[in-house]
Amino acid sequence: MNWSLFFDLTVSGLTLGSLYALIALGYSMVYGILKLLNFAHGDVYMIGAFVGWYTLHALGGPLNPTISGAAVLFVMFIVSMLGCGVLGVAIERFAYRPLRNAPRIAPLISALGVSIFLQNSALLIFGASFRDYDTFDLIGVKTFSVGQLFFSVTQLLTVVVAVLLMVALTIFVARSRLGKAMRSTSFDREAASMMGIDVDRVIAVTFFIGSALAGAAGVMFGLVFGQIYHYMGFIAGLKGFTAAVLGGIGSIPGAMVGGLIVGLAESYATGYLPQGSTFQNLYVFALLIAVILIRPSGLFGTAAIQKV
Amino acid sequence: MSDSKLLELQEVDKSFGGLRVIAELDLVVREHEIVSVIGPNGAGKTTLFNLITGIYRPDSGEIRFQDRNIVGLAPHKITELGIARTFQTLRLFLNMTVKENVMAAEYGHTKVGVVRSMLRTPGARREEKEIHRVAEEKLSFFGDRLMGYRWDQPAYSLSYANRRRLEIARAMATQARILLLDEPAAGMNPRETHEITELIGTLRDVGGYTILVIEHDMHVVEGISDRVVALDHGVKIAEGSFEAVATDPRVVEAYLGLRTAETK
Amino acid sequence: MAAGGGSGVPPDRSGPADAPDSPRIGVDEWVASVEGKRERYTGLRGRLTREWDHLPPPARVLVFAIPAAIFPLVTTEGNLFRYGLFTLIYALLALGLNIVVGFAGLLDLGYIAFFGCGAYLYAILASPQFGYHWQAEAAIPVIVLGTAIVGLLVGLPSRRLFGDYLAILTLFFGQAFVIFVNNANRISFPFVGHTDLTGGSNGIANIDPFNFFGYKITTTRQQYYFLLIGVSVFLVLLMFVNDSRTGRAWRALREDPLAAEVMSIPVNRLKLLAFVCGAAAAGFTGAIYGTIATAALPGDYDVGLLITIYAIMILGGFGSIMGIVVGAIIVSSVPELLRSSANARPLFYGAILLALLVKIRPWRLLAAELGGLVAFGFVVHAIAEAAYPRLVDGKALGSGTVAHALDHWMLLPQHPVKIADFAYISLIAAVVVYPQLSRLWRALLLAPLLYLVMFVWENLLLVQIGGATRLVLLGALLVALMNVRPQGLFGTATVEIV
Repeated sequence: MNWSLFFDLTVSGLTLGSLYALIALGYSMVYGILKLLNFAHGDVYMIGAFVGWYTLHALGGPLNPTISGAAVLFVMFIVSMLGCGVLGVAIERFAYRPLRNAPRIAPLISALGVSIFLQNSALLIFGASFRDYDTFDLIGVKTFSVGQLFFSVTQLLTVVVAVLLMVALTIFVARSRLGKAMRSTSFDREAASMMGIDVDRVIAVTFFIGSALAGAAGVMFGLVFGQIYHYMGFIAGLKGFTAAVLGGIGSIPGAMVGGLIVGLAESYATGYLPQGSTFQNLYVFALLIAVILIRPSGLFGTAAIQKV
Repeated sequence: MSDSKLLELQEVDKSFGGLRVIAELDLVVREHEIVSVIGPNGAGKTTLFNLITGIYRPDSGEIRFQDRNIVGLAPHKITELGIARTFQTLRLFLNMTVKENVMAAEYGHTKVGVVRSMLRTPGARREEKEIHRVAEEKLSFFGDRLMGYRWDQPAYSLSYANRRRLEIARAMATQARILLLDEPAAGMNPRETHEITELIGTLRDVGGYTILVIEHDMHVVEGISDRVVALDHGVKIAEGSFEAVATDPRVVEAYLGLRTAETK
Repeated sequence: MAAGGGSGVPPDRSGPADAPDSPRIGVDEWVASVEGKRERYTGLRGRLTREWDHLPPPARVLVFAIPAAIFPLVTTEGNLFRYGLFTLIYALLALGLNIVVGFAGLLDLGYIAFFGCGAYLYAILASPQFGYHWQAEAAIPVIVLGTAIVGLLVGLPSRRLFGDYLAILTLFFGQAFVIFVNNANRISFPFVGHTDLTGGSNGIANIDPFNFFGYKITTTRQQYYFLLIGVSVFLVLLMFVNDSRTGRAWRALREDPLAAEVMSIPVNRLKLLAFVCGAAAAGFTGAIYGTIATAALPGDYDVGLLITIYAIMILGGFGSIMGIVVGAIIVSSVPELLRSSANARPLFYGAILLALLVKIRPWRLLAAELGGLVAFGFVVHAIAEAAYPRLVDGKALGSGTVAHALDHWMLLPQHPVKIADFAYISLIAAVVVYPQLSRLWRALLLAPLLYLVMFVWENLLLVQIGGATRLVLLGALLVALMNVRPQGLFGTATVEIV
């Protein structure tokens, strides 16, 4: 048993998993409240990565930062999260809100339209070439080790930040008034509005949070993998969705756990399954199909009982 | 009147999570009978229909139709065997025309497949004509209300009472032997209620159907039933003629609560 | 019958006259007669709609087929290829997808993979890849059957799924197909060993043209007529099915699957049937496309084409067969037209002008806005010329009077890249903020907003008029269309039980 390979795969799996968990949270929260699959979510993630890149270069670039390395990273995250949050709210306002009472297929088409729009706007503005984050000098290429477990600074950073964000989200949803409003709106929108909850505002906040998390994930992707490109949102979005379904769509802990599982599964697949790195996406898809067939409600979801 | 048992439930049990919705229910419906099921809301009446039609599967017990166990069969198969229903909240195919709603229900007893339909073979055309004829026949049961120009109108344009009638016509088109009517008189004014009462009788006398009805309106129940079954919390608490059940103390308690003092 | 005897219903008469002469409450006939009046258009539109409804299906197809048959005689070969062939291919694809989405209501996002299946299967059977050179009359049935089987395999696990889950599953299948086809030159299959099944990312080239009993379809015109016959026949078949037992069952399944199931309709079997039929149609179309493109490449069968076909269905309206044909014509010709700036500019400005005409009602307000726009442009241009000459040192794209006029009116920097990007983002933000403003502000700021739109168009979108621009416009169009008319151009507004 090659332990060092196993640990390497586990570490990268956890890193990937943190990314997917953050993306999955956005999907799950929006689906829980609106019963809508936000196809454009993956592209918000991509925009977050680019916003982070521009912030980095606005602060002098990876080689000549105007403030300390840690501060640069902090600002990148904040700007990206805020920017994506606002973008998410705008998307909801324009592409989904007018269609709340339209036939179910209309918001899906609208989501598709937004996704196309974002992807190609990115292509127009950012160009087709890959952009490098090149943050190695900024952060340092240090690797830590615990016994045979090796991990780099960026991987550690990713996991830690993701965990912090998820903890913050959990506390927010469980304790705060707005969090309670979110939960009740996802149960029964009409009843919630009759109880005095401003449903529009709750939905806007949900989109803001989900998109902000995706933005953070985008920056993390850039830090860990070094390169970003305009269609990175598509596949990442699909995998994030897989994670959300795996964990039980609509469930916040489910999205977190689902993300980790998908990340680990993908990582192990590249290492252990035949022709893993070529077909790693296929294996993730196969996982999704298996989940949908065996347990469509996911790990933490409840099977909906239809009242006839 | 024939004495054969058309539909029989034996010790049927159904729970959702921790809630026992139907508890050891025995029920017999004989051919050409009109049986009413009454009980307060939440008594399990619609669940009973869902169990019979195969939408839910009983946790235990048997459901036999024409002496054949139908538990575990797919709902469309059960309908093909001869059980049809209407819904408490109407479930018409709103964007299809009146006639199409009825014609769609004839699927189980017709057989022209996709390829022959595409090619409009003579066999396909003949069957289409027959489907039209059957639909018109079923719709004519309701007088002129669903006839003529109404055939090509979308179902969503019908008034409420007409929608209820259409649902019944649609159920009839499945060539059923027993009709399960879920609150057919709900939301109707007195005149319409009277018509429904007569209609149900006609369905049995002229149409030859056996009918199991869920109803809240006691005038209707009184007017149509050969037998009444009362449910409460999934348990059968009384069975018999209308007079017997309506005055049964357990039934009165279920509807009105316990009498704390004699007032007579 | 209960309707007689003392219930107060007027005597039977045919036609709408079973409503009483004066409105009365408590009588449902009156309510019904008011609600039941069919949506009737008056005037020309009404006459056209009524005439159209009276035509039998084959006649309706002729209305489309006859002008289409004349088309090759009045245009060049290049145009025929670009506009004619692709329109028909798109139409076939969209019609096949309509069986799955429009008839049965299943959201299939992997449909293009079946198209690819057909193309690759034909490529395997009729190209130098394996040395087979099957004739069309043998290859086509095999391909249709083969793709149908694939459709069956994909459909089997999907039987119990609905809505979003089905969409995702099929989307993944579509992705899996592309990955497979891209890498199938490197897999070792269990019995056959290592073979190059699909040519990997290079695809399979030199596909044979169709060969029907010795008659080869090689020229563009021949291909066009073959496709036209195919589309026409398919249209007629679809119209027949729609009005048949299976068609009704599909529509019932789309309306309310639970009620359909209880009304003796085997829902799962019908879903599978829709899937298989759609897949077979796509396979057939794929084989044809193989001969047109003469090569099977993985990139042709990806999300881009899927979006195009869905755009056709959305524009045309789900379920509306003739609407899809119109949608195909629009979707295949407009992007081609947009390729050259000479065509693109009038199209874009024309569309904006049209939108303004429709939205701004009083003529005087519209004239004022347009006048304000012109004035605003001159003012800005003058200021720029004086203070920021670098903003106006470029030239408008293209030649002709419009381009010259723009040189003096619009800000056209020599190197627009950075500022155009910034303007684009500001434009998006502006469009988001604009509807929130009060009426007064909206009237005042419309001219600057339009100027910004034109600025972005001239300096960014037009300059880079490639796939990205068209897709950006498509995305915006989809969102706008859903907002304005969710049922598509020709669809009928459906009533849904929520």
